[in-house]
Amino acid sequence: MKKTNILDVVSRKLSPFILLFGIYLVTFGHISPGGGFQGGVALASGLLLILLAQGPAVLVQYFPLGRIAKAEVAGYGLFLLAGLAGFLLGAGFLSPLFPPPGTIFILNIVIGAKVGAGITLICWYLFHEMEEQE
Amino acid sequence: MVEILLLVHLVLAILVLSIRSLFTAVILMAIFSLFSAVLFFVLHAPDVALTEAAVGAGVSTFLYIWIVKHTQKEPE
Repeated sequence: MKKTNILDVVSRKLSPFILLFGIYLVTFGHISPGGGFQGGVALASGLLLILLAQGPAVLVQYFPLGRIAKAEVAGYGLFLLAGLAGFLLGAGFLSPLFPPPGTIFILNIVIGAKVGAGITLICWYLFHEMEEQE
Repeated sequence: MVEILLLVHLVLAILVLSIRSLFTAVILMAIFSLFSAVLFFVLHAPDVALTEAAVGAGVSTFLYIWIVKHTQKEPE
């Protein structure tokens, strides 16, 4: 399928704004609607726009696959750590350790990294599998 | 407002099921998710609307387009 100039230019201009909106959703999740999951999915859809319209080489150039995988693992580990920290300090699992926005803010950022990296990796490996079969 | 949105949902669902071209059906499904997001927003659930817009119109459309592209026969 031939790629047109319109698709090329629009995807190149639109994807940074989608990524910025995803970061906004993650960081302002405790004030306005949004949060870790929604912001993470917005981040992932920005990366998938690059992958679908620009090709895998451009995505790998700006966001190396190893770093995306590390972000996912770090998200999982930090969430577990933040949960167990409250457990070890005598309060319950995931109990708030910091004054009000603190814990929710940290958990939102961790969940955003985890969800965004996870969905990007799922779609990446599907893409890769399909490309190899041809 | 809600009734109009539900009518749009009905029309879009019938179109998705009855249309011949698979690509058009996938794009109509994305529009369907977008209208669902508007419906959730009207019903005072902005969180659900954001999730629906991101997952329904973004990621699942990616997956469906990819699958349709790789399972359809090339026209000769």
